[in-house]
Amino acid sequence: VEIEIELTTELILEQALPPKLAGNVGAWVEFMGIVREEESQQAIVALEYEAYSPMAEREMRRILEGLGAARPCLYARVIHRTGVVPVGEAAIWMGVAAVHRGEAFALLAEFMNRLKKDVPIWKRRALTPAEWEGARSS
Amino acid sequence: MRILFFAHLKDVTGQREIEWHGSPVDTDGFWRNLLEIHPGLAPFRPSVRLARNGEYVRNDVIFTDSDEVALIPPVSGG
Repeated sequence: VEIEIELTTELILEQALPPKLAGNVGAWVEFMGIVREEESQQAIVALEYEAYSPMAEREMRRILEGLGAARPCLYARVIHRTGVVPVGEAAIWMGVAAVHRGEAFALLAEFMNRLKKDVPIWKRRALTPAEWEGARSS
Repeated sequence: MRILFFAHLKDVTGQREIEWHGSPVDTDGFWRNLLEIHPGLAPFRPSVRLARNGEYVRNDVIFTDSDEVALIPPVSGG
Protein backbone atom coordinates (compact mmCIF):
# COMPACT_ATOMS: atom_id res chain seq x y z
CA VAL A 1 0.00 0.00 0.00
CA GLU A 2 1.32 3.43 -0.92
CA ILE A 3 0.98 5.71 2.10
CA GLU A 4 0.87 9.48 2.50
CA ILE A 5 0.57 11.11 5.93
CA GLU A 6 0.18 14.78 6.67
CA LEU A 7 -0.32 16.86 9.79
CA THR A 8 -1.55 20.35 9.08
CA THR A 9 -2.85 23.44 10.82
CA GLU A 10 -4.73 24.40 7.63
CA LEU A 11 -8.30 23.69 6.61
CA ILE A 12 -8.59 20.27 4.97
CA LEU A 13 -9.95 20.91 1.50
CA GLU A 14 -11.73 18.39 -0.66
CA GLN A 15 -9.29 15.74 -1.78
CA ALA A 16 -9.31 14.21 -5.24
CA LEU A 17 -8.49 10.64 -6.14
CA PRO A 18 -4.86 10.69 -7.24
CA PRO A 19 -4.97 10.33 -11.05
CA LYS A 20 -2.03 7.95 -11.04
CA LEU A 21 -4.26 5.36 -9.39
CA ALA A 22 -6.78 5.34 -12.21
CA GLY A 23 -6.88 1.92 -13.80
CA ASN A 24 -6.94 -0.87 -11.29
CA VAL A 25 -8.78 1.11 -8.59
CA GLY A 26 -12.26 -0.29 -8.07
CA ALA A 27 -13.01 1.43 -4.77
CA TRP A 28 -12.19 4.82 -3.32
CA VAL A 29 -13.39 5.20 0.27
CA GLU A 30 -13.24 8.50 2.12
CA PHE A 31 -13.83 9.39 5.73
CA MET A 32 -13.91 12.76 7.45
CA GLY A 33 -14.03 13.16 11.21
CA ILE A 34 -15.82 16.42 11.98
CA VAL A 35 -15.64 18.53 15.14
CA ARG A 36 -19.08 18.40 16.78
CA GLU A 37 -20.75 21.36 18.49
CA GLU A 38 -20.80 19.47 21.77
CA GLU A 39 -17.97 17.97 23.80
CA SER A 40 -18.62 16.25 27.14
CA GLN A 41 -22.18 17.65 27.00
CA GLN A 42 -20.84 21.23 26.76
CA ALA A 43 -21.46 23.56 23.84
CA ILE A 44 -18.18 24.39 22.14
CA VAL A 45 -17.02 26.32 19.09
CA ALA A 46 -13.73 24.57 18.44
CA LEU A 47 -11.32 21.89 19.61
CA GLU A 48 -7.59 22.37 19.93
CA TYR A 49 -5.51 19.39 18.85
CA GLU A 50 -1.94 18.74 19.84
CA ALA A 51 0.39 16.20 18.25
CA TYR A 52 3.79 14.74 18.92
CA SER A 53 4.35 15.25 15.22
CA PRO A 54 7.26 13.04 14.20
CA MET A 55 5.99 10.12 16.25
CA ALA A 56 2.37 10.62 15.17
CA GLU A 57 3.33 10.47 11.50
CA ARG A 58 5.59 7.46 12.02
CA GLU A 59 2.95 5.64 14.07
CA MET A 60 0.24 6.23 11.47
CA ARG A 61 2.53 4.88 8.76
CA ARG A 62 3.47 1.87 10.89
CA ILE A 63 -0.19 1.09 11.58
CA LEU A 64 -1.14 1.38 7.91
CA GLU A 65 1.76 -0.83 6.84
CA GLY A 66 0.70 -3.43 9.38
CA LEU A 67 -2.95 -3.35 8.44
CA GLY A 68 -2.10 -3.31 4.74
CA ALA A 69 -0.57 -6.76 5.00
CA ALA A 70 -3.95 -8.26 5.88
CA ARG A 71 -6.07 -5.74 3.97
CA PRO A 72 -4.25 -5.25 0.68
CA CYS A 73 -5.03 -1.78 -0.59
CA LEU A 74 -3.36 0.33 -3.25
CA TYR A 75 -3.16 3.68 -1.57
CA ALA A 76 -3.95 5.34 1.75
CA ARG A 77 -3.73 9.02 2.57
CA VAL A 78 -4.35 10.54 6.00
CA ILE A 79 -4.51 14.23 6.85
CA HIS A 80 -4.92 15.20 10.51
CA ARG A 81 -5.42 18.74 11.72
CA THR A 82 -3.50 20.17 14.64
CA GLY A 83 -4.09 23.43 16.45
CA VAL A 84 -7.54 24.96 16.69
CA VAL A 85 -10.24 23.27 14.57
CA PRO A 86 -13.64 24.99 14.49
CA VAL A 87 -16.91 23.11 14.84
CA GLY A 88 -18.02 21.74 11.48
CA GLU A 89 -14.51 21.40 10.06
CA ALA A 90 -12.68 18.14 9.58
CA ALA A 91 -10.16 17.14 12.22
CA ILE A 92 -9.16 14.17 10.10
CA TRP A 93 -9.59 13.13 6.50
CA MET A 94 -8.71 9.70 5.18
CA GLY A 95 -8.91 8.22 1.73
CA VAL A 96 -8.22 4.62 0.76
CA ALA A 97 -8.05 3.13 -2.70
CA ALA A 98 -8.32 -0.59 -3.35
CA VAL A 99 -9.23 -3.03 -6.07
CA HIS A 100 -12.37 -3.99 -4.16
CA ARG A 101 -14.42 -2.04 -1.60
CA GLY A 102 -14.18 -4.62 1.19
CA GLU A 103 -10.47 -4.10 1.81
CA ALA A 104 -10.81 -0.32 1.63
CA PHE A 105 -13.69 -0.15 4.14
CA ALA A 106 -11.90 -2.55 6.48
CA LEU A 107 -8.54 -0.78 6.34
CA LEU A 108 -10.15 2.57 7.01
CA ALA A 109 -12.25 1.36 9.94
CA GLU A 110 -9.40 -0.55 11.53
CA PHE A 111 -7.01 2.34 11.08
CA MET A 112 -9.37 4.77 12.80
CA ASN A 113 -9.67 2.39 15.76
CA ARG A 114 -5.90 2.13 16.04
CA LEU A 115 -5.44 5.88 15.63
CA LYS A 116 -7.66 6.51 18.62
CA LYS A 117 -5.62 4.06 20.67
CA ASP A 118 -2.00 4.53 19.61
CA VAL A 119 -1.29 7.72 17.66
CA PRO A 120 0.04 10.52 19.88
CA ILE A 121 -2.52 13.19 19.06
CA TRP A 122 -4.69 14.78 21.74
CA LYS A 123 -7.77 16.90 21.97
CA ARG A 124 -6.01 19.46 24.11
CA ARG A 125 -9.05 21.52 25.06
CA ALA A 126 -12.49 22.57 23.97
CA LEU A 127 -12.82 26.27 23.26
CA THR A 128 -15.68 28.48 24.41
CA PRO A 129 -16.77 31.40 22.19
CA ALA A 130 -14.58 33.86 24.15
CA GLU A 131 -11.52 31.59 23.89
CA TRP A 132 -12.18 31.11 20.19
CA GLU A 133 -12.17 34.86 19.58
CA GLY A 134 -8.90 35.09 21.49
CA ALA A 135 -7.37 32.26 19.49
CA ARG A 136 -8.41 33.85 16.18
CA SER A 137 -6.97 37.25 17.03
CA SER A 138 -3.68 35.94 18.42
CA MET B 1 18.15 12.92 28.06
CA ARG B 2 15.37 15.11 26.72
CA ILE B 3 12.01 14.40 28.33
CA LEU B 4 8.85 15.64 26.57
CA PHE B 5 5.44 16.29 28.11
CA PHE B 6 2.18 16.46 26.16
CA ALA B 7 -1.45 17.38 26.73
CA HIS B 8 -2.44 17.77 30.40
CA LEU B 9 1.01 16.60 31.52
CA LYS B 10 2.33 19.98 30.37
CA ASP B 11 -0.05 21.60 32.83
CA VAL B 12 1.04 19.26 35.61
CA THR B 13 4.74 19.97 35.09
CA GLY B 14 4.41 23.53 33.83
CA GLN B 15 6.93 22.56 31.15
CA ARG B 16 6.98 21.20 27.62
CA GLU B 17 10.28 19.44 28.14
CA ILE B 18 13.21 19.05 30.48
CA GLU B 19 16.81 17.94 30.13
CA TRP B 20 18.08 15.30 32.49
CA HIS B 21 21.54 13.76 32.67
CA GLY B 22 22.65 10.65 34.51
CA SER B 23 23.42 6.97 34.28
CA PRO B 24 21.40 4.71 31.96
CA VAL B 25 18.15 3.68 33.59
CA ASP B 26 15.37 1.17 33.04
CA THR B 27 11.71 2.17 33.11
CA ASP B 28 11.45 2.03 36.90
CA GLY B 29 14.63 4.08 37.27
CA PHE B 30 13.35 6.60 34.77
CA TRP B 31 10.12 7.09 36.71
CA ARG B 32 11.96 7.25 40.01
CA ASN B 33 14.18 10.06 38.72
CA LEU B 34 11.31 11.88 37.03
CA LEU B 35 9.03 11.76 40.07
CA GLU B 36 11.77 13.34 42.17
CA ILE B 37 11.64 16.32 39.80
CA HIS B 38 7.87 16.29 39.19
CA PRO B 39 6.08 14.36 41.95
CA GLY B 40 2.76 15.62 40.56
CA LEU B 41 3.10 13.12 37.72
CA ALA B 42 2.69 10.14 40.06
CA PRO B 43 -1.10 9.78 39.69
CA PHE B 44 -0.72 9.68 35.89
CA ARG B 45 1.96 7.01 35.74
CA PRO B 46 -0.46 4.05 35.35
CA SER B 47 -2.05 5.59 32.25
CA VAL B 48 1.09 7.03 30.65
CA ARG B 49 3.03 5.14 27.99
CA LEU B 50 6.67 5.94 27.34
CA ALA B 51 8.18 6.48 23.92
CA ARG B 52 11.89 6.58 23.18
CA ASN B 53 13.00 8.47 20.08
CA GLY B 54 9.49 8.37 18.67
CA GLU B 55 8.57 4.74 19.33
CA TYR B 56 6.67 3.10 22.17
CA VAL B 57 9.08 1.24 24.40
CA ARG B 58 9.13 -2.36 25.52
CA ASN B 59 9.48 -3.33 29.16
CA ASP B 60 13.18 -4.14 28.88
CA VAL B 61 14.19 -0.73 27.50
CA ILE B 62 17.21 1.15 28.85
CA PHE B 63 17.20 4.93 28.55
CA THR B 64 20.44 6.84 28.02
CA ASP B 65 21.37 10.51 27.93
CA SER B 66 21.14 10.65 24.14
CA ASP B 67 17.48 9.59 24.12
CA GLU B 68 14.38 11.68 23.61
CA VAL B 69 11.78 10.23 25.96
CA ALA B 70 8.14 11.25 25.61
CA LEU B 71 5.40 10.72 28.16
CA ILE B 72 2.32 9.74 26.17
CA PRO B 73 -0.94 10.11 28.10
CA PRO B 74 -4.05 8.41 26.65
CA VAL B 75 -4.47 9.71 23.11
CA SER B 76 -7.62 11.27 21.65
CA GLY B 77 -7.00 12.05 18.00
CA GLY B 78 -9.50 11.83 15.16
